[in-house]
Order: sequence, then C-alpha cells, then structure tokens
Amino acid sequence: MPVLSVEGLKKSFGELVAVDDVSFHIEEGETFGLLGPNGAGKTTSISIVAGILEADDGAVTVAGKTVSTKKIEAKAEIGLVPQDIAVYTDLTAAENLAFFGRLYGMGGSDLGKRVDEILDVIGLRERGGDRVKEYSGGMKRRLNIGIGLLHKPSLLILDEPTVGVDPQSRNAILESVEVLSQGGTAVLYTTHYMEEAERLCDRVAIIDHGKVMAEGTRRELISLVGTSDRISLRAEGDLTAAANAARSVQNVGEVIASDHALEVMTPDGSGVLPLVLNAVTAAGINVQSVEVTEPDLETVFLYLTGRALRD
Amino acid sequence: MSATWEIARKDMRLRVRDKSLFIWGLLAPLGLAFIFNLVFGPAFEEDFEPSQFALVDQDGGPVAASFSQLLSELQAQGLLEIENMDEEAARTAIEEDELESYFLIPAGFSAAVTSGQEATIEVVGNVDTPTSSQIAASIASRFGEGVDTVRLSIATTQSGPGGPYDPQTVAAAAQTAAADPPVALAQEPVSERQLDPTSFFVAGMAGFFVFFTIQAGVTSLLEEREEGTLARLQAAPIARSSILAGKALNSFLLGFFSMAVLMVASRYLMGSDLGPPFPVAVLAAALVASAVGIMGLIASVAKNAEQAGNLQSAVAVILGMLGGTFFPVGGTGLLSKLTYISPHAWWMRGLNDLAGGGGIEVVLPSVAVLLFMALVTGGMAVFILRRKEQW
Repeated sequence: MPVLSVEGLKKSFGELVAVDDVSFHIEEGETFGLLGPNGAGKTTSISIVAGILEADDGAVTVAGKTVSTKKIEAKAEIGLVPQDIAVYTDLTAAENLAFFGRLYGMGGSDLGKRVDEILDVIGLRERGGDRVKEYSGGMKRRLNIGIGLLHKPSLLILDEPTVGVDPQSRNAILESVEVLSQGGTAVLYTTHYMEEAERLCDRVAIIDHGKVMAEGTRRELISLVGTSDRISLRAEGDLTAAANAARSVQNVGEVIASDHALEVMTPDGSGVLPLVLNAVTAAGINVQSVEVTEPDLETVFLYLTGRALRD
Repeated sequence: MSATWEIARKDMRLRVRDKSLFIWGLLAPLGLAFIFNLVFGPAFEEDFEPSQFALVDQDGGPVAASFSQLLSELQAQGLLEIENMDEEAARTAIEEDELESYFLIPAGFSAAVTSGQEATIEVVGNVDTPTSSQIAASIASRFGEGVDTVRLSIATTQSGPGGPYDPQTVAAAAQTAAADPPVALAQEPVSERQLDPTSFFVAGMAGFFVFFTIQAGVTSLLEEREEGTLARLQAAPIARSSILAGKALNSFLLGFFSMAVLMVASRYLMGSDLGPPFPVAVLAAALVASAVGIMGLIASVAKNAEQAGNLQSAVAVILGMLGGTFFPVGGTGLLSKLTYISPHAWWMRGLNDLAGGGGIEVVLPSVAVLLFMALVTGGMAVFILRRKEQW
C-alpha cells in the first residue's frame, strides 16, 4: 500500500484552474518530486495533500487514511515544511518545537527528548535556547524542516525548502532529505530547481498549468525525449582504432572520432564509461580528459511544455 | 481544549515578549488617566463648588426676611454661600471677582408686595460667571412666582384683586414660598450615581485601551497567515475551531488581565475606586468579551493585518469617544441614542450605576447588553471566516 495516494485531484479558484486531474502515489522510503515552474500548481497540490485546502474533486489518502481539512487523523501522519519559514521568531527553537509537538499530541519527557533529538539533527543544539529572530536564514530554514520531522511522520512534504538558501545550507538540507528517505520516510518534494529533483527524487512528476505532463523515473522521463548520453574524450594516439574499440562495448551507439577527441553516444553514460575507458586505453590512446553529458529534466520540461523551467 | 489552550498560551508568550502589551495594556491607559485627571479633574469638581452670592437687604421687611431665609436654607444644603453686605461692598466684591452675584432687595419691597404693587428683586451678576448669575436669577424668579401664587389665592379670598392685603398673611405666604427651595433639584442623586473624576478617567482609559490590547491578539490570525505559520497550524491534527478559539481565549485573557492590573495599579497609585471588585470584574469581563467579538469581526472582513489594524483602531476610537471614555457624553436625541451602540457606554454606565450603591444586580443590565454584543459580533466573525477559502 502506498504511503500517499492522490487520485484525480481538482481545484479551481474562480475561473483559474489551479490543479487539474492530478494523480500520483508515493511508496515508503521513496522521494517523489513535483517539478514545475512557479504558479504550476505545486503548492496548491500539496496544500490539499496536507489538509490545508479542500479539493473540488478527487481523493487523497495517507497511510490509508482519507485527508481533508476536517479529518485530523490523517494529518498526524503528515509532516509539512512550508515554503515560507513558518516559525515563531520571538520563541526559541526549542519552544517552537515543543509547541508544535504538543499540537501533534506529544508531551512530557518524550517530547523533551524528541526536541533534543531534532535540535541535534538540524544542528541547533547549542542555539536551541536562543530566540529564532537571532538566527541566520539558513538556521531558520533548518528549524523549519525540523518542525516537520518532529512527530516522525509517514509522509514528509517539503515545499521548495531551499528557496533563498545559501549553497552550504542548501546542500545540508538536501543531505538531510536523503537520510530521511533512506530511513523509510516517504517524501513529497516540490521544486523548480531541476538539479534538486534529479539528485533527490526516485520519481518525478512534471507539472505545468495544474496538469501532470509526465511522471516516472528520471530515465523514463528522459527517454520521452529520445536523446542519448554523450561521453566526450580528449585523447592522443590512434583515435580510429580507439573508436572501433569503443564500438565493441555493449550499449554503445554511435562513435565519432575527430582530431583529438572521441564522441561516444550511449543511453547509459555513467554505466558504460568504465568499459569505454578500458577499451580505448587498451587500443593504445592516451586519455587526457573525460566528460559525460546527459540530457536532463530541464530538457524534458522544455520538450513537454515548449518553455524553460524558469520562464 | 488542549490545542486551544496551547495556541492561547503560545500567543500569550509572544505578546508578553512583545513589549506592546505593556504599552497598550498598562502604561498608556495609566499614564493618560493620570494626565487627564491632573488636567481635567479640577474642572469636574468645580461643578459642585457652591456659588458665592451676597444679599443686599435695603428693605428689612418680612418678605425680604423670607427671601433671606430661603437663601440660608440653600446655603445649608451646600448649593451656595451667602453673605449679607451693603450695595457698595457687593459691587466692589463683584468687580474684584470675589463674588459671583448679589441680590438687591430695594427699600419698600415688602410694603409693595403686601399692597399688591409691583416689586422687584434685582440680581447683579459677575460677567465672568454667567452660570452663577443664571442660578441667582432663577432663585429670585422662583421666589417671586411663589409669592405671587399665594398672594393671588389670598386676594381671591378677600374682596377682589388689587388688595389691600393683610401684611402678616402675605409674609406667611412668602415663607411658604421660601420653604419650597427652587434649586434643590436633582443634584444630589446625580452626583451620587457618578464616579469621582479620578475613577472616571481610570475607567474610561481602561475601557478605551483594552480594545487596543485585544486588537493585537485577534489580528495575529492574519499575521500568522501572512507569515506562513497558519498553514502549519491548519496542517496539524487539531480542529480548525481550536485555532480561532485559541486566538479568542488569548485575547480575552490578556484583555481581562491588563484591565485587572490597571485597576489595581490605579487604585494604589491614584486612589481610584471603581466599585466592589466582583461586580466590576464581571462587568470588565463582559466588556472584554464584546471587544473580542467586535475586533474579531473587523479582522474577519479585512484583507490583511495592516488593514485590520487600521480599521480596528478607527472603530475603537469612535466607539470609545461615543461611549464617553474621555468625557461624559450627554445630550438628547440622536447622539444620546447612538451611545448605546458603544460597549464603552455600557461599561461606563455599569460603573456609574455601581457608584450609586448595590452589588452585582446593578450591573447585570450592562453585562447582558455587552454579552449580547459579544455573541452577535463574534458569531458573525466565525461565520465569515468559515466561508472563506483560506483563513
């Protein structure tokens, strides 16, 4: 049974159709990405999934429990990390965590222990007693995520958690999501950063104008475009012999030799790279540099919508 | 209830850390009550100071003696102070602002009255004290009317209008007229049903500023929406009504607490006395409840916290002025009826009723009206919020 099941979700605001027949599901330990530009319907979709908004049509279940604004049982299974830094800046980090913990039914010494654990996880143990308004932006972001994790949810929803974050904090956030996923938490991750979706998500739904344009693993999505990976080798020696050697490797397609370079086309660049390198070096050439260029989700989005993600 | 209390407790903690609670809830009302009392308090008390009058009796007859007796009785009631002097001394005293008015009874006054001829008591007033001059004229006029009435009845029982009359009978009539003091009026009961100036200003400022104390608590719902924390509350496994109830509870408790602290502090710092604690507490709780409802209703129709704050401030000032928190609102007609829409008016009315004596039963009408206002406005606020897609 999937942790999250979304079926035929629809939501309009007046004439504007924000979410149009969106369906997807997330398994335990899976990170699912909603990739789309601003205004695509990502935040509206997760607001419905989190029980903040009521859908016009469709159904959402989390851990087998139906989600709606009025049903509180399912909400206990969900951890939400909103796009805004949704914390009380006049409270300390520990007070913020304790407050939301009590709203999720936690209390007593268990709550105290869990607050300390989360402060450790988000790296704020030393500053847990300071008021949040004294924190840097990155520290606030980490607390924002920590509150979502506090009650050990089955489903963690992260709505563009890295917007406006410095590279160091961004990397820390992405690493923590990876750890959570490895720990069995189902993660719904919305972003308009293609690199984040590629790094974190087991499967991605590309969403635009409220519709899911395509859904699948990165490789499945890229296969829609029909483009191969390209391995570019700068080398010296008998490149014609090297090209023939490369062609003998399984999964290698077209190979083009030029004056000081080989261009190897393959559907699995990172997979065949070691085999190609072995083959061409065995053919007697001296490899000076290697670059693998893959078609990415940006390419897919462009292919599906006719515009770039950041348009 | 647990979630409601947690949200209220969190909001209270935030408000306590935000110094505005102390400014709006304690320092501003206490400071303004102190200043208003200092500046306007004596003016309030002046209303009850007796006028300084003199009697210049050039007649010395029995009717003049009756008028003198009337003035003495009014003096005994504390409504005026009377001194006998000659005309020159009285005129000098007026010019030197030592006297507000004097009565001149000319020689032959009693004889003229008893013979049925025209007789006049002259009132000479200080131009700087027109109210006192009117009071003096009123006293003389009422005395004259009384004498005329009795004289007419005497004339009827004798041989026809125009006299002659028995001087003793007319003097007795004049005494009868004097025994009906013309200006005893309703001063005593009115003064008994009013707070003293210090308590008035403390009550007024407490009622006025509690709306501002509550405003911040109610508007925090909109602020949470703008800052994103409301989404987190809505995503939590709690009933949505708990969020509204938590906000209302926090506003009520802070409003009531700030009023209580203000009243206790003003009692010891300024010597105010709003009345017996229990009825005052019940009345204050009802006022705070109505303020939560009204401020909540405004917040429910506002687009954002800034708009709500502006609207709430404007409404609080208008209702406060209308309700007589700065100065007593009197008059008749539309204005006097309009005051009834102000919860401040019912708060002040309840306290004034309490100042006249009695216990909880005295304030119950005001409490009932205030709670009705709270229910209607609070109910409308909840109804409007529930109809909104995202609050």
